[in-house]
Amino acid sequence: MSKTADLLPGTLDMLILKAVSLEALHGYGVLLRIKQISGDALDIPQGSLYPALYRLESQGLIQSEWGQSDNNRKAKFYTLTVSGRKRLREETAGWNRLATAMSAALSATGPEEA
Amino acid sequence: MLLWLNRIRSMITALRSRKDFESGMSEELQFHMDQFTQDLIRSGVPAAEAARRARIEFGAVANVEEDCRQSRGLHLIDELGRQISYAGRLLRKSPGFTLTALATLAICLGANLTIFAVVDAVLLRPLPFPQSEQLITIFNTYPKANVLRDGSSLTNYYERRGGQVPGLSSVALYRYGNANVGEPGSTEHEPITRVTPDFFATLGTGPQIGNVFTEEHTTFQTDKVVLLTDGYWRQHFHADPNVVGKTLRVDGVANTVVGVLPRGFRFLSSESRLYFPLASNPEHRTPLQRHSGGNSIHMIGRLKEGFTISTVQSQVDAQNTNLETGSPTAKMMADAGFRSIVTSLHADHVESIRDVLLLMQAGAIALLVIGAVNLMNLLLIRANSRAKELSVRQALGARTRHVISEVVVETTLLTLLGGLLGMAVGWAGTRLVATLGADRLPLGSAILFDGRLAIAGLAAAVLLGIALAVPIVWWNLRRQVASAMQSETRGGTAGRAAQSLRHSFIVGQIALALVLLTGAGLLGFSLKEAMAVPPGFQPDHVITGHIAMPWKSYSKTQTQLAFSERLLQSIRQQPGVLSAGSGVNIPLSGHSGKSAVTVKGHRPAPGEPPRGIYSYGVDGDYFQALGHKLVAGRFLNSSDSRQSSVSRVCVVDQDFANYYWPKGNAIGQRLFRSPDERPDLEAFMVVGVVAPAKQAALTDMEAPGAVYFPFGHASDNEIFVIARTSLAPELFGLTLQKLVREIDPDLPVTGVRTMEERVADSLTARRTPALLAALFSGVALLLTALGTYGVLSYAVSQRRREIGVRMALGANPGAIRIQFVWLSLRLLAAGTAIGAAGAWIASRAMQAMLFRASEAGPLVLSGAVATIGFVAIAACLLPANRAARIPPVEVLNG
Repeated sequence: MSKTADLLPGTLDMLILKAVSLEALHGYGVLLRIKQISGDALDIPQGSLYPALYRLESQGLIQSEWGQSDNNRKAKFYTLTVSGRKRLREETAGWNRLATAMSAALSATGPEEA
Repeated sequence: MLLWLNRIRSMITALRSRKDFESGMSEELQFHMDQFTQDLIRSGVPAAEAARRARIEFGAVANVEEDCRQSRGLHLIDELGRQISYAGRLLRKSPGFTLTALATLAICLGANLTIFAVVDAVLLRPLPFPQSEQLITIFNTYPKANVLRDGSSLTNYYERRGGQVPGLSSVALYRYGNANVGEPGSTEHEPITRVTPDFFATLGTGPQIGNVFTEEHTTFQTDKVVLLTDGYWRQHFHADPNVVGKTLRVDGVANTVVGVLPRGFRFLSSESRLYFPLASNPEHRTPLQRHSGGNSIHMIGRLKEGFTISTVQSQVDAQNTNLETGSPTAKMMADAGFRSIVTSLHADHVESIRDVLLLMQAGAIALLVIGAVNLMNLLLIRANSRAKELSVRQALGARTRHVISEVVVETTLLTLLGGLLGMAVGWAGTRLVATLGADRLPLGSAILFDGRLAIAGLAAAVLLGIALAVPIVWWNLRRQVASAMQSETRGGTAGRAAQSLRHSFIVGQIALALVLLTGAGLLGFSLKEAMAVPPGFQPDHVITGHIAMPWKSYSKTQTQLAFSERLLQSIRQQPGVLSAGSGVNIPLSGHSGKSAVTVKGHRPAPGEPPRGIYSYGVDGDYFQALGHKLVAGRFLNSSDSRQSSVSRVCVVDQDFANYYWPKGNAIGQRLFRSPDERPDLEAFMVVGVVAPAKQAALTDMEAPGAVYFPFGHASDNEIFVIARTSLAPELFGLTLQKLVREIDPDLPVTGVRTMEERVADSLTARRTPALLAALFSGVALLLTALGTYGVLSYAVSQRRREIGVRMALGANPGAIRIQFVWLSLRLLAAGTAIGAAGAWIASRAMQAMLFRASEAGPLVLSGAVATIGFVAIAACLLPANRAARIPPVEVLNG
């Protein structure tokens, strides 16, 4: 079994928002950053990254600007907008609530197991 | 919400710079691939292998790009573009179908737009005044005396204004008239309006220069002031900003300009360019004059905020009851059913043509439905012939959504193209309507083809496109279900369902065409009947004209008599004139008003209402000139007005005589020109009885009777002059004008028309709808024939194989033919049954426009059925014959 986990639906958007909230990144950078902050535990399907970026941009949560990459190539950099930051905060809080509730529920011990 | 705004904005940006979007996207994805490949190489993968791995990990670039476009909503636009060009190709591929469809749409939508332009201008658009929905009119009615409208009196005005009716913020009076304006020798005859000072405030308009009238202007000593419309000011005063205080010669008297009305000001359909104060003497304003409206003075008013017409109506009713209590005429007015009606100014102004217009629109819509049904049938047949193509595409993965949107795009493209052509037809139609004299309709001069109409046309086209798509989508989806169950579609349930759908369309089409045809038939029949009504006089070889003598120089009976005498004398001296007369009114003049006449010795039966009688003064050989028939006694003549003491005689018509003296002893009886009996000295003796003439309209059902007095007793400053000629009467028109100018160069003659023209013009309100209905039903018949033909030929071609087999097995060609004729007869029977019911409903709805048509109803209906039947059977004979001639061998081989 692979040590990477599949993404839950809807979580890719959250990860992208988180990644670009730290610094301006181009698409490939977003991919690397997610791998890095998740400790290589999450497997991002590369093909779905760009549609997600385009969708978030069209929703006004992130914005893009052309700039120079590290190796001096023209690349498109994404940054978080104000409403993106707000969304990230809400989603993080929501996720934390869900995660706490899920782990509490799953670690509960029933009468049969006791 | 905000999210959606953002999305739409980003979609629009992407659309605007589509090229930038695409190149940016490719560049971005390429950058990603390059970086990824390099990283792989750096981690030790060989270059060739690295590129391959990168492509695998990333997936198909085209798919990712499409997904990105979808994120921006661009795919919808792309798809629409593809479907439009596909639909365009399909339409180009079958030019016959496309041209038929476009022509049908252009005619049907164009007809609807033309009628709608009239409906919109006349019925829908609010009057061009602020808060125009608050504007009302009030008129007196005496229905039991057969006087439905009698305008309002000055007394009504003085009793209602200034808050005396709590729900009205203001009331005002107006009276249309004519004036001769300008310096001697170059006077022009101008339509004018006289109004009370609060008229403009009631409408909510102020002057652009100067002031409107004030209370000081309402006496005959102080009313020589005038307000100009913008048009008159520009034309006659060269838009002089200092025009206030200048004078204008009106009927020979200098009038001072007090102001100029704003540009575009027009009261209802009035042609007036000059407004004068409506002056009166105090005795005109007393309670005794309350019922003297005479349908020449009219009242408008403005509702106070928060009041409705019905509350004001009850306030006016209550006030009338109060005022009438104790009045000497109270009982008589109550017997006459007196009431003052409060109603919307706009609705009242257009009431006469509202029903006609709505009926015409209904007819045009019926035409559109018939046309649309034809298109649906054609489209269904096309859909059937494209079934195979569709199956293949669906097998290759076309989605249902695509199948639906494709059909909608195709039909909408078709109807939009047709709609554009329809707009051209509608534009031409409105021009045609204008040249046909639509400006004579109430508010008719406002008819125009503008952006509002264009939007209505486009909206109708889009809606129609979607409506046309419904049955085809239904058929396509249904066919899918059917083909899942059986591979051979022909004869399957979908085919049969589509067939019965097509057949029910034909039935509906026949029914609608029948309704239109019956309606047109009834209107035509009514017109024919109206034209056949004997007018009671002989309209051939008669020329007429109208002369308005200015009050200033012709206020006395003597001067009016003198003018009439001089004019009639000079007319009689002209060659070719057989007789000449004049009168305060002539039949079908549009000025026929009724007044009260009292017969000496007549005791009204209990509950017998007072009768409004046509009565007016006549001079010269009035009866001979018009060709009235003498029933008993003698005609009036010039000497009746000119004996030393004008003889108190009169002539009555047969209707009047029959009512009061049914025993036939009218001659020698006496009557009074007043609502009550007077001293014998004032009585008029009946010296003659003439055949009744149609006074207000040829289709008058009421015949209250008429009384003619010598002009000397019942003169007026406005007269009609009539001459009977031996030559063509129209040749005499110019002579008539010349003769009048010889007597008084200030006097223009208006309305110079032959009596036959007047008779014909009085039927315009019947002729135009009848012509339009005939046109509509003609087109409807043609469309129905095309529709029936199309569907039956398709049925024949679809059943070629079956017919071939039957023929090969020995079927009689005649039997085959009869089978198809039988089918069309069945459709015809169903359509006729539904259509007859519809025609009955339609004939009820148009009752008011019909004349003596009730007994002709069945006849007209059977005529219409016969016509439709003939057309439908003719349309089916061709395909039926083709079926009967199908060569079996060819079919079986093929």
